[in-house]
Amino acid sequence: MSKSNKGWFALFTVPLLLVFTTVVIIPFIIGIGYSFVSWDGIPANPKVFVGFDNYATLLRDDRFLTSAWHTIEFTVLALILVNVLGLAFSLLVTMKLRVSNAARTMFFMPNLIGGLILGYIWQFIFTDVFKYLGDKTGFDSVFFNWLIHPQFALYAMVIVFTWQMAGYTMIIYIAGIQGIPDELGEAARVDGANLWQRLTRIIFPLLMPSFTICLFLTLSGAFKIFDVNLSLTKGGPNNATELFAMNIFNEIFGYGHYGLGQAKAIIFFVLVAAVTMTQVIITKKREVQY
Amino acid sequence: MKLVKRTSVLLTATALVSLLAACGGNSNDNQQAGGEKLKKISLFQSKVEIAEPLEALAETYKKETGNEVEVWGSAGDAYMTQLQAKLAAGEGPTIFSVGTGAEAIKFKSYYADLSNEAFAKNIAPDMALKDGDKIVGVPYGVEGFGLVYNKSLVDPKDVSDLASFTKTLEKFKAEGKNGLSLSQEAYFLIGHIINTPFALQSDPQGYIEKLNKGEVKMADTKEFQEFAKFMEAIKTNTVNPMEVKYDTQMGDFATGKTAMVHQGNWSYGMLSDYGDLGFEVGMMPLPLAGNDKIAVGVASNWVVNNKADADQIKAASAFLNWMFTSEAGKKAIVDEFKFIPAMTNIDAANLDPLSQTVFEATKAGNTIPWANNYFPQGVIINDLAPATQEFFLSKDMTGEQYLKNLDAAWAKGAK
Amino acid sequence: MNKASRTSISALLALLALAFLSPIYLMLVNSFKDRAELYKNALALPDSFSFQYYAKAMDKMNFMSAFGNSLFITIVSVAFVVVLASMTAWMLVRTDNRLSRIIFLVFVSTMLIPFQTLMMPLMQVMDWIRGNLHIPMLNTRGGLIYMNIGFHASMAVFLFHGFIKSVPIALEEAATLDGCTKFGVFWRIVFPMLKTITITVAILDVIAMWNDYLLPSLTLSDKGLRTIPLSTFYFFGEFTIQWNLAMAGLTLTIIPVVVFYMFAQKYIIKGIAAGAVK
Repeated sequence: MSKSNKGWFALFTVPLLLVFTTVVIIPFIIGIGYSFVSWDGIPANPKVFVGFDNYATLLRDDRFLTSAWHTIEFTVLALILVNVLGLAFSLLVTMKLRVSNAARTMFFMPNLIGGLILGYIWQFIFTDVFKYLGDKTGFDSVFFNWLIHPQFALYAMVIVFTWQMAGYTMIIYIAGIQGIPDELGEAARVDGANLWQRLTRIIFPLLMPSFTICLFLTLSGAFKIFDVNLSLTKGGPNNATELFAMNIFNEIFGYGHYGLGQAKAIIFFVLVAAVTMTQVIITKKREVQY
Repeated sequence: MKLVKRTSVLLTATALVSLLAACGGNSNDNQQAGGEKLKKISLFQSKVEIAEPLEALAETYKKETGNEVEVWGSAGDAYMTQLQAKLAAGEGPTIFSVGTGAEAIKFKSYYADLSNEAFAKNIAPDMALKDGDKIVGVPYGVEGFGLVYNKSLVDPKDVSDLASFTKTLEKFKAEGKNGLSLSQEAYFLIGHIINTPFALQSDPQGYIEKLNKGEVKMADTKEFQEFAKFMEAIKTNTVNPMEVKYDTQMGDFATGKTAMVHQGNWSYGMLSDYGDLGFEVGMMPLPLAGNDKIAVGVASNWVVNNKADADQIKAASAFLNWMFTSEAGKKAIVDEFKFIPAMTNIDAANLDPLSQTVFEATKAGNTIPWANNYFPQGVIINDLAPATQEFFLSKDMTGEQYLKNLDAAWAKGAK
Repeated sequence: MNKASRTSISALLALLALAFLSPIYLMLVNSFKDRAELYKNALALPDSFSFQYYAKAMDKMNFMSAFGNSLFITIVSVAFVVVLASMTAWMLVRTDNRLSRIIFLVFVSTMLIPFQTLMMPLMQVMDWIRGNLHIPMLNTRGGLIYMNIGFHASMAVFLFHGFIKSVPIALEEAATLDGCTKFGVFWRIVFPMLKTITITVAILDVIAMWNDYLLPSLTLSDKGLRTIPLSTFYFFGEFTIQWNLAMAGLTLTIIPVVVFYMFAQKYIIKGIAAGAVK
């Protein structure tokens, strides 16, 4: 790089990097430091260096390992459902239908409701509405209180997460679809390609960058899920839906084991980063440049 | 360090009688005039229900004295997290609230000594939060819980021991009513109801310490064996508490579908939203192992942050003094916060029926302590609640197995 | 596509959308009910549509002040994120070396860190900055904006990065030959071509920041600084919620973002129609 190019590089990237470093990187590094310490999280109370003790403890922590497994289960289900729906929605609403505009807004609507209250609203649906439907329709093998069944409570979380995220990925897929030149589709149509061929041969390959982005965003969102977890199931019943972020939160603020909580976060981060980076690298290789 | 003297958990009759005796008309609220300009302070506390009246009180304080108190807010269960983060940022509030017991011990390095403040001498005996001999916290007020019941449906005579309790539940079940309702929130599912067998131990705190060390087991303790039988009776004869939220629990009670709920005097606030109930509400003890007392304790305390600068600490004491001695302050505590005061200079008037029962029981010394304040940090939500959820969700689990699970859960949580 | 299949797709869409909106229905109807009515039936339409709970919620939340705070913080934060992240992403794409790749990977991988594990150290860093550099980072709007930029940087860089790669480089080279500086190339040539993704980033960040509770709750303490989500705390007790006020408060919170979204969405579509995007 020439000297002036280096200057431009710095001018363009340093402002953001500076903010980013002070807000994310340094706290993260401090957090790594805390993972070697025994501390209850109260600033004035003593911090004792314990080496790798916290890491040794977490490997014996069944509840953490179970929680990690549930998180993986949740993430895989959510990943598939969110992206299939998000992509389907984006294709539907870009079809220049009369209802496209309204549908686009409606699919995206769930995203506009943030935070905890969302989980509380869904509580009504899974407890009251499902029970009501079960009583009225007789399908009580499907419509019962999902939140007190360990497996179904996890599915309930997948549904709420999908409900929220599908519209989100839809927006990104739409942006991707808009980026595909119309002429390509037209040319294929003239050549006699049917809808399925146009999708799989032209649209999907060109959407690879959007896939990369959406898969990654869903992945990171699912791994970090907290609000919905807290307000919908609180981790219950019997810890069956205590996902990873909540397990850490309980360790740090419930038990007051700050160092142990940090150690969990670090271990999980390393594992997840390894998996997702592989995913990003694989899908990036398949992206078409034009 | 022993933050609170062991005896202070046990509210004795004498203590409370003296509280009452002092409740007469002596008011010493005439020293606030001064007019000294004090530094602005901040106040952060956990009870959302009193947020608005507290802000209004701060306004009044400003009008009367010219000094400012900034009242911060936080939603329900977010309080502890925010407090911890703000302390980490060196942005701690001047006055804040802590729960009695494990939580108070956790934050002990932040407490300023309030022993010599004028209002400290008005704290009812054994009610102050202490660090050794120093008074470091002022109680919000007292609260109590037990079996809240519908007087048109239940006669306390029919709920006097395990046998009659079970029979009553069976009778209601046959009638298609819910005899007793717990609800799914950790404290309402297990945290409060398990307090009774602990409180009945001759030395509850000592028992908890032994339990932490693994020297005793709940499964081998008589009161807990009976507790398990109560829980079995509840599981067999009532609506599964996992299906019930606090909102529905109180709704069912208010509309006569449920005869009893295991709740505290705070739940009256919910009932009053239903207008005229058409029946009278009472509170009675959970008749476990001969228990004939309701559980009364101090949930939260005001403390002053010793990391604030000297001027702010001074201003904080002045505000607390004003709140606990001025007419406006005392009126707000009773009428707006709706606390049962734990100060000898504040009269308890116009209490709702449940608070009245708690107040009278306290007066007569008919109370058992809140032993659950001394549980290891987080054990109710993180360990006892999941084990209890499992009990209510698996049809075949016996009370005995449940008790063993509770022991195992406790051992994990006490680590 | 023939007319029949068009109609059936439209019908399917309408059905799906309806299913998607049922939680929002619950939110709306229950903002009109008192506790007894809500208990009776959460699903039914309210007995009367009186806006008393909206008025009460607005009053308690000190709505106009909270609205002003939210608006200021969100707009300034998003503007910074869009400008800084697009510049950074462009540089990272166009400078193909190891440093760029590492920076990009660091941005991306930090998106996997749960915020709960960062918050305590973050508070300590902000305290340090205040103590040593004398910049008030806590309990100020500016401080929150600064942290917003930091936390939303990763995703914005990630999104811009992905899209800049598909922007043809030829135009930029031509402009450089014409004597444009990098600055000029970016602002005159590249940025206008990023309109779709810029609006996408803006939409996603506006929503995230507008609704954020946790970060503002840690950094803003004073009543006068509260954002809209912060000021709804009055309705959330530890064990129960004042449903009518909470739902009314929530509706009031999201109306501005719904309006913004509908506006921004139209803007994307107009861009498409004019063929301006690509």
